[in-house]
Amino acid sequence: MDREIVERVARIAHLDLTEEELEKYGGDLSEILEYFQMLDEIPGDDAVGFNPITVADVLREDVPSVEIDPDELLKDMRTYERYVRGPRLS
Amino acid sequence: MTSLKRLNEIYEMYTSFTEDAPSGKFVFSAKDNLTSKDFESCAGSRILKGYRPPFDATPIRKMREAGGFLQGKTNMDEFGFGTFSANSGFGIPKNPYDLNRSCGGSSGGAACAAAVLEDHVALGVSTGGSIVCPASFCGVYGIAPSYGRVSRYGLIDYANSLDKVGVLSSKAEDLGRYLRIIAGKDEHDPTSCVQPEMPEKDRMAKSVAVPREAVEGISKDVMEHFERSLETLRSMGIDVEYVDMPILKYAMPAYYVIAASEASTNLARFCGMRYGQQDGDLSLGFDAYFTSFRSQYFGDEAKRRILLGTFTRMVGYADRYYNKALRVRESIIKDYKRVFADHDAVVTPTMPFVSPRFDDIANMSALDIYKADFLTIPPNLTGMPHMSVPCGYSDGMPVGLMFTSDHWNEDILLSAAVEWEKGFDRIAPEVKG
Repeated sequence: MDREIVERVARIAHLDLTEEELEKYGGDLSEILEYFQMLDEIPGDDAVGFNPITVADVLREDVPSVEIDPDELLKDMRTYERYVRGPRLS
Repeated sequence: MTSLKRLNEIYEMYTSFTEDAPSGKFVFSAKDNLTSKDFESCAGSRILKGYRPPFDATPIRKMREAGGFLQGKTNMDEFGFGTFSANSGFGIPKNPYDLNRSCGGSSGGAACAAAVLEDHVALGVSTGGSIVCPASFCGVYGIAPSYGRVSRYGLIDYANSLDKVGVLSSKAEDLGRYLRIIAGKDEHDPTSCVQPEMPEKDRMAKSVAVPREAVEGISKDVMEHFERSLETLRSMGIDVEYVDMPILKYAMPAYYVIAASEASTNLARFCGMRYGQQDGDLSLGFDAYFTSFRSQYFGDEAKRRILLGTFTRMVGYADRYYNKALRVRESIIKDYKRVFADHDAVVTPTMPFVSPRFDDIANMSALDIYKADFLTIPPNLTGMPHMSVPCGYSDGMPVGLMFTSDHWNEDILLSAAVEWEKGFDRIAPEVKG
């Protein structure tokens, strides 16, 4: 995998890689993907399943409830007036 | 009696624990990627350091309701990314039979606790072999049930179409006893809601299949124990037949594509807000803030899998990798069903070698380590229940035998474990302290 693609993938994944890491992961991914080329040998099934078992819709009664106290959830977060604090948008 | 604190200094099986177990309750541990009220839940990652969930994962809640006492959270590869538990942010669990060797991964701490602690049951989690691999290396019994048998509510996801919560113990009968407690439908996890009930009486296996492809590339010592195990099965009145399953060789690449793809999306939530590490500079822009946390706190293998999974889902590559892997998984499921039409279970060695030394692991490439999972991946990729039982010792190191059955047929595995134990003398490790 060439360096440009590794840099692009890292940017999408929000990872800032050092020169050494770019080199190392580029080499590792090339070796791994070369091995994975064997997937080209077989057509695979016509079906595309996102789970290994058949999953059907199961609906519960639409009853409002609060299972976890929001204040408990906020306890370990950085907050301001019960809002979660985050970085600047731009 | 050696204190738990001292034992943990030696074996590093727990990331957090308490020594104060009350009487009248059975004691259990949970892998550190299962959320619990009493302890931090970090999934082996430094990015989650300090995270104290306000709720119990469903399997932990059910164990407590059944009279269990949660003693601690067991050490693991970061988010489950590993075969040797050497990728934890909080020390490396040591094999109870040889401290210079691995416990296996990623539920390494769980297997170690099951081997070292008396009357202990450990909850583990398997995505690609993370229960049976450490069970094999640590000489204990371990079962990963069908995908969907146990609720994943409260499990910190690695790959949500592959993750399964299961049980490890030094006693075969514990697998059934505690699996029945944690199994069942849970409205918090829709994938658990389609399961049939587990039968009350376990069925016995009459016939098992051995895929020829699964006994290639096995070390000589493991192969000797495996062949002896097949003889034992025959002496138990079970037919053993070799079968061809050439499609199994595609399971490893299909698994790693799906697992890394799902992991790369699941780990997007870890960005220095809401959980764990949050001490960054809020004056930074959005991208810079998130990137700084992820780059600083994710470990080496986590970064590798995030990169791999991001790539295999990218426009221009998804059809070749991710979508193809989903179709290959369907083909492998159909091939297993073909074999299960004539056999009750598939039997293979659990791992191709006994637990390696840490200095040998350090010399393995990422691909070498992925390849080491070639026996445990097929049942995990296909969501089939599977189990490892100890079947011998090579120079003092345990060897494991793996049984796989069709979806929802855990009872066949549970009866096999109990019957197996009647004829197998487990050698407990000499506990240091």
